[in-house]
Amino acid sequence: MASLSLKGIQKIYPNGYHAVTDFNLEVEDKEFIIFVGPSGCGKSTTLRMIAGLEDISEGEFLIDGVKMNDVEPKDRDIAMVFQNYALYPHMTVYENMAFALTLRKVPKDEIDRKVREAAKILDLEKLLDRKPKALSGGQRQRVAMGRAIVRSPKVFLMDEPLSNLDAKLRVQMRTEISKLHETLGTTIIYVTHDQTEAMTLGTRIVVMKDGIVQQINTPEHLYNKPCNLFVAGFIGSPQMNFIDAVVGRDGDNVTLTVGENVLTVPEDEKQILLDGDYVGKTVVLGIRPENISDKEDFLANNQDHIIKSKIKVREMLGAEIFLYFDVNGVQMTARVEPDSPLMTGDEATFALDMRKIHLFDKETEKNLLYGE
Amino acid sequence: MERNTMSYKTKQFLMFAGPAVVLFCMVIVIPFIYGLYLTFTSWDGVSVDKPFVGIANYVSAFKDAYFWGSMGRTIIYSAFAVIFVNAVAFALAYLVTSGIKGQNFFRAGFFIPNLIGGIVLGYVWKFVFNRAFVAIGEAIVGGTVPSLLSSTGGAMFCLILVSVWQYAGYMMLIYVAGFMGVSDSLKEAAMIDGCTSAQAMKNVTIPLMRTSFVTCIFLSITRCFVVYDVNLSLTNGEPFNSSVLAAMHVYNKAFIYKDYGTGQAEALILFLVCAIIGIAQVYIGKKGEVEA
Repeated sequence: MASLSLKGIQKIYPNGYHAVTDFNLEVEDKEFIIFVGPSGCGKSTTLRMIAGLEDISEGEFLIDGVKMNDVEPKDRDIAMVFQNYALYPHMTVYENMAFALTLRKVPKDEIDRKVREAAKILDLEKLLDRKPKALSGGQRQRVAMGRAIVRSPKVFLMDEPLSNLDAKLRVQMRTEISKLHETLGTTIIYVTHDQTEAMTLGTRIVVMKDGIVQQINTPEHLYNKPCNLFVAGFIGSPQMNFIDAVVGRDGDNVTLTVGENVLTVPEDEKQILLDGDYVGKTVVLGIRPENISDKEDFLANNQDHIIKSKIKVREMLGAEIFLYFDVNGVQMTARVEPDSPLMTGDEATFALDMRKIHLFDKETEKNLLYGE
Repeated sequence: MERNTMSYKTKQFLMFAGPAVVLFCMVIVIPFIYGLYLTFTSWDGVSVDKPFVGIANYVSAFKDAYFWGSMGRTIIYSAFAVIFVNAVAFALAYLVTSGIKGQNFFRAGFFIPNLIGGIVLGYVWKFVFNRAFVAIGEAIVGGTVPSLLSSTGGAMFCLILVSVWQYAGYMMLIYVAGFMGVSDSLKEAAMIDGCTSAQAMKNVTIPLMRTSFVTCIFLSITRCFVVYDVNLSLTNGEPFNSSVLAAMHVYNKAFIYKDYGTGQAEALILFLVCAIIGIAQVYIGKKGEVEA
């Protein structure tokens, strides 16, 4: 097992395009790091630089303190699970899993033991004689994992390994990967664009956009204290609601005016707005759907935080209901209890949980409350 | 309209496949059957009479030492040509898929010899062997230098060399398709698994290019077995009939020596050899097919 260090990593293509800019990360032993971001944000490129499949344009990459920039992929002691699994189609499952060990001239009986051990962990014992074409997507995915496991590498790299699976199997395999991390105690770097995978699997998440790291922290921290508008919008499903609000004063209070709705800002947030000289300016108010409530008692206790609108769409999901409505021309979503009486077309009154709001600078898009 | 009736299906078949079937019958099936019939006659290739002689032509074909001699030369020529054509084609394909500058230009350049007709190619190379190489040889060595085409071994060597030059570009395209068909992620997986470039080639790329190898090898074998144009224009079977290949022998037998029946019987034997090679190609190709 190993610790990794990425210092000022850059990827600049010959045409001058900066795919990754100043990437810094320290990965501790046994960590499960997730690189997440939209397509083209540089997460796979960074993973490929770690694997040695792409040259590092600038910066240093170290494994256990040893510089790896110019070390061949085969000598980095890493294993990688590819998005399309990259199983050798002319080899059986057994041969696929044994290939790396055969190349390293490991004795045959040891190869056999390791392959069968991995096959047992991944429930592949009955499939060892089959070729990849005779396997389902989930089975292929497990073989790809098995191929990585048998080598007992220092680091596992996974490049969107679940994206080719259907939704149900993806959830199942997600659990399997999580269990595997527990069992093997390996350092894993995992790339995905699915924020649910990122939240459920990672010990820490690296959120990227346009080749630049936006924030690195635990899933809980990213969810509760996103550093900017992008992270706030990317993490969480349904995504955080954003609406422009004008900061004003009402006696001692600081208010946020959203269309015809006036919301009183709590004391802590009030001071930040005053210190930042935001009175009279427009900020972006962010609030997660579960922090908007239609419950009677909550409404009664939060009379200063009321917004009113007409329900446009109601989505019943069983354990919860999503209500979609417009405020000042911007669509918002509320996640409410399944016993909510509100229906499509109803005039609704909601109260915002102002302790959970986020305020973003309109220009810099930084979170005024939790900016890092 | 009722779509399940026999008349509807017949009309549909004739509309789509009819023209191709008629043409195929006219230029392949009927001439083949007629040719088969002629092997049982003693036709001289000119006269109206075609006397029936039974299997006499086959008996004389099997007794024709010159035919089997030409067949032996064809096998030797094919063995060398096939090995070198495929080795050169594979190397060229590797080169033009390795990301070198101007690789599309090189692909087109290497393919061009295949576009030149065999007769033209033969005469061009005949000039090169008889004049250009001789002049260069004389300039270097001094004195008189004989043409490679003037010795028995040299003529066969020239035939093989020109065939490699002619066919390698064409086979290269099939190997290029093979190289491009191997996913980059497989090569990357091999590198991460611990392969050197040579090991990745041996263990991953080449096994996955099996279809390209089978196609190229069998295509070059069948082409070599029926080569005539280059044989005619480059050596014309000389010196001392030492470079007469099977197809040339068959042609000479039928049209030069006016023994059409025996020539046709020998052509049929040559056809059977090619057919067996073709069937073997399909069988071997299907047997080892690798699906991703």
